[in-house]
Amino acid sequence: MADTSIGGDVGDASPEPLEDEGRRLTTSLSTSCLAVLMAIVLGGLIMLMSGENPLTAYTAMVDGAFGSEFALGETLSRAAPLAIVGYGTAVALRAGLITIGAQGQVVAGAIGALVTAQLFESGPSAVAIPAAALGGALFGMAWVLIPALLRAHFNVNEILSTLLFTEFAALLIEYLLNNPLKPPTAITPQSDPYPDNGILGLIIDGTRFHAGVFVAVAIGLLFVWWVRSDRGFSYDLYGENPSLAQSLGISGNRVIINSLLISGATAGLVGWIQAAGLLQRVYVQIASDIGFFGLVVAFLGGATPGGVLVAALLFGALQSGGLAMQSSEGIPASLSDIIQALLLLGFSIRYAPQIIRLTRGVMANFTLIGKRRK
Amino acid sequence: MTSEPGADPATGTPLSVRGVSRRFGSVQALANVDFTLEAGEIHALVGENGAGKSTLAKIVAGSIRSDSGSMSLFGQPYRPTSRREGAAAGVAHVRQQLSLVRGLTVAQNLQLGRPGAPAIFNAASARAEVERWSDEFSLSVPAETLVDDMPLAVRQQAEILIAVAWGARLLILDEPSSALGPLETKALIALCHRLRSEGTPILYISHRLPELAELADRLTVLRAGRVVVEGADVRAADLREVATLMIGDVSLLEVNRPEIERGTTRLTVTDLSVSSTQEIGCHGLNFEVAGGEILGVVGIAGNGQDSLAKALTGQAKLASGHVVVDGEDISGSARQAIAAGVAHLHEDRSTGLAAAFTVADNATARHVRSGRFTRFGVRLADKIARHAGELVERFQVRPPDPAARASSLSGGNQQKLMAARELEKNPTVLVAHGPTKGLDPEAAKAMRDRCFAAAQAGGAVVVISADLDEVSDLAHRVVVLYRGRVTDAFPIEDMTSERLGAAMAGLTETMEAASG
Ligand SMILES: Nc1ncnc2c1ncn2[C@@H]1O[C@H](COP(=O)(O)OP(=O)(O)OP(=O)(O)O)[C@@H](O)[C@H]1O
Ligand SMILES: [Mg+2]
Repeated sequence: MADTSIGGDVGDASPEPLEDEGRRLTTSLSTSCLAVLMAIVLGGLIMLMSGENPLTAYTAMVDGAFGSEFALGETLSRAAPLAIVGYGTAVALRAGLITIGAQGQVVAGAIGALVTAQLFESGPSAVAIPAAALGGALFGMAWVLIPALLRAHFNVNEILSTLLFTEFAALLIEYLLNNPLKPPTAITPQSDPYPDNGILGLIIDGTRFHAGVFVAVAIGLLFVWWVRSDRGFSYDLYGENPSLAQSLGISGNRVIINSLLISGATAGLVGWIQAAGLLQRVYVQIASDIGFFGLVVAFLGGATPGGVLVAALLFGALQSGGLAMQSSEGIPASLSDIIQALLLLGFSIRYAPQIIRLTRGVMANFTLIGKRRK
Repeated sequence: MTSEPGADPATGTPLSVRGVSRRFGSVQALANVDFTLEAGEIHALVGENGAGKSTLAKIVAGSIRSDSGSMSLFGQPYRPTSRREGAAAGVAHVRQQLSLVRGLTVAQNLQLGRPGAPAIFNAASARAEVERWSDEFSLSVPAETLVDDMPLAVRQQAEILIAVAWGARLLILDEPSSALGPLETKALIALCHRLRSEGTPILYISHRLPELAELADRLTVLRAGRVVVEGADVRAADLREVATLMIGDVSLLEVNRPEIERGTTRLTVTDLSVSSTQEIGCHGLNFEVAGGEILGVVGIAGNGQDSLAKALTGQAKLASGHVVVDGEDISGSARQAIAAGVAHLHEDRSTGLAAAFTVADNATARHVRSGRFTRFGVRLADKIARHAGELVERFQVRPPDPAARASSLSGGNQQKLMAARELEKNPTVLVAHGPTKGLDPEAAKAMRDRCFAAAQAGGAVVVISADLDEVSDLAHRVVVLYRGRVTDAFPIEDMTSERLGAAMAGLTETMEAASG
C-alpha cells in the first residue's frame, strides 16, 4: 500500500488524467501480491478438487525449490534468465513501451552466441566467453531493431511488431537447425555442441547452478543503478508523459529506440546463457518459455528492481518445485503450471484497465488512420 | 440510492450535503461541510486554491467517498460508491481535469460509459446526437474528430455536451470556463441559463468573478475545507459585493502594471509556419519581442495557439521559418530552447506535469539533462527534495510537500507547481499559455507579478490566452490569431472590443504584425 492518500478513490469509469496512474504501467506492488495470494489459494482449491492435499503439495514444492543445495541451484538457474529478461523488459515498460518480443530475442541471442563462439573456438576462454556474450546481446538487439525503428519513426505499435518478430525467430531457428547449423550426424534439429572454451561452468558441482546466475546479479545491479539514474528518470518521465518529456528536451525517438534495444540486449544475453551455460547446444526449444515468463515477471514485479527479483525467484521456485513435487510425491507437475497460469491470469486482471486502454488506442489508430491523413 | 425513475424531481431538494468531511493523509480537505443545492438554481462554489471545491464535487459525483457525513439527492438518501452510480442517479460531473478518453471521438465518448447504453455502438446515431446537441446549444463540437486533436476549450464543451446528452438531472461544472474565451464563455452562460430554466440545477465552481456575478443565484465560499459563507444570495449583489464575499480583499483584483524598461530584441520569429495534423497550425508569422516586453497572443481557441506555443519552445517541427532567441536559432529543438533559457507554461496541466511523479521530481524536472542533482549519474534524492522544497515554498504550492504526488495537488496548486519548474530562473523567453488559469485571485496576482518580474529581469514574454482580461492585464502589445495567421496587431492602448472581435473572427484583412 504505497499511497494511502489516494486509496480512497472508488471505482471510476474514466479517471482524470491527473488523478490516476496516467500511462504508467509500472506501479503498485500490492496488487501483485494479491495476484500471488489468489494464485496460491485457487491452486490449493484445484489440488483439493483433484484429490491432492494442498499442504503436502506446497510443502513438497517449497522443499523442492529451496530444500537442498540441488534444489536451490535449480531454482536460481531457472530464476536467473527470467530476472534478466524481466529487467530488460522493465526498462521498456517504464518508458511506456510494451515489448513482448523477448522470446524471439532469446532465440536470436542463442544463435548469435553460438555463431560467435564458433568463430572463437580456438581462442582462450577469456576471449571466447565475452565475445559470445556480446554476440548474443547484439543478435538480441538486432531482433528488436526494426520494431524499434518502426515505432520511433512511424508510430507502429510495438506489441504487434515484436510479436511478429518472435514468429520470425521461431521460423529462422527451425530452418537453421535443420539445415546450415545441423551436424551431418544429427537426427533431430539441433546444433553442434557448444564450443568447450565458451562454456559457462558450474559453480557448484552436482547442481545446475552455473555462472550465468552471476550475469543476472550484475544485470540486476545495473538495473538498480538505472532506475536511480538521471537517464533512467528521463526514460520514466517519457513513459509517464511523452509530450512533457519532449518539451524538456528528452528525445522521444531516442528513448523508444534505446529502451527497446536494451530489452533486446538483455534477452539476447539470456539466449547466450541458455546455450553456453545450461544446454550447451542450441535446440529449437532453446528459449523454452523464458521470454514470455520474463515479461510476466517484469509486469508482476511492477518493473522495479526488488519486485522483478522476487517475481523471478517465485517463478523459478514454482518451476523447480513443481518438478520436484512430481518426483517426490507423485503429484503432477502440471499443478505448478496451473499456479503459474493463475498468476498470469491475476496479472492480466491487475493490468486489465491499462491493457484495454492500450488496445483501444491501437484500434482507434486503425479505424481512424484514414481520417488522420486528410 | 437511485430514486425511482418515475419520481418527480420536484419533490425533494436536488442535493443536500450534511456534515461531510474528507481527509487525505495530513490534509483535511473538507471539514463538516453543509451544502444545499435548491431546485432551479445555479449555485456557485468558490474559494482559494486547495479549499476543497473539487473534492466536494467528486464526493457528490461519487468518484471519491467522504469519511463521514451524509447526502441526499432529490429527497432520497444518496450514497454513491462510484462515478457510474452517481451518473446513473443523474449527477453529471464535468471535471477540472477533463476526462474524455483520448484516442476516441466525441461520438464514441458519448456512448462510452453512458448509463444504460446499448452494447452495440451505432456510429451514425451517436454522430447525429452530438450534432443535434451541438446545434441546439450553438456549440461547435465536432462529432468525429479525435479528442486528442481538439483544443482544450472544445474538449470542455464536449464534456458538457455529453453530460447533458446523458440526461443529467443535476450538473456539476468544475471550472468549466478556465480555457474559454469570451465568446465561448458567453455560450456557456447561455447554456447554463437554459438548463436552469429547464429545471436542471447546477453546481458551478469558478475563480472568475464576472461570470459568477452574471450566472449565479447563490454563492458558497469554502476556506481550508470549511464553509465560511453558506448560500449567500447574489442575485441582487453587484460585482464588488460578490468579490468581497469571495475573497474578502477586493484589492487583489486590481492590476498594478509596473513600468518596465524595454531592452533589445530577444525573440525573433520570421516566416514561421507549422503544419499540424492536430490543429490548424500557423502560417507565415513574423514578429519580434524585446526584453522587458510582454506580447499578448489572442484568438478563439484552436486558431493556431498550440502550434505557436510549441514552435516558440522548440517542440514543433517547422514547415518553414525560424525562431531565434538571443541570436541563436532554436527552431525545432526543445533541447536548445531549454539551453537558451526558454520557459513554457503549458496550457494543459495534464501534458505539463508528470501526474504520477512526486512534487520534487516535477519541480526539478527541467534539470533532468544537466546532471545538477546527480553523483555518478545517480539522482540524489535528498538534494532534489531540498531544492524542490525551496521551490515550492517560493511558489506557494500548497501543501508544500516534496514527497506528495503531483496528482494529489489541487488544480491551482498544480499550476503553481508547473510555474515553479519553469520559472525557477529568470527566463530569456517566457511562453505563458494561460498563466493564471485555475488560480484564485491571490495566486493569479502572484502569477501576474511573476510575468512582470520575468519582463523586468529582461526577459521577452509571450502570453497566449483566450482570456482577454488576462491579456489586457499583462500585455504591452497584442497580436490576433485567426486560422493560424495574424489578422491584427496593435499596442494594448488601442485594444477595443470591436477591433478585437473583428480580428478574432477573421474579418480584418490579413496583415503582417509589425514588430516593435
Ligand atoms: N488524492 C489526493 N491525495 C492527497 N491530497 C489531496 C487529494 N485530492 C485533494 N487533496 C488535497 O485536498 C485539498 C483540497 O483539494 P481540492 O482539489 O478539492 O481543492 P480545490 O478547492 O478544488 O482547489 P483549486 O481551486 O486549486 O482547484 C488540497 O490541499 C489537496 O492537496
Ligand atoms: Mg479544483
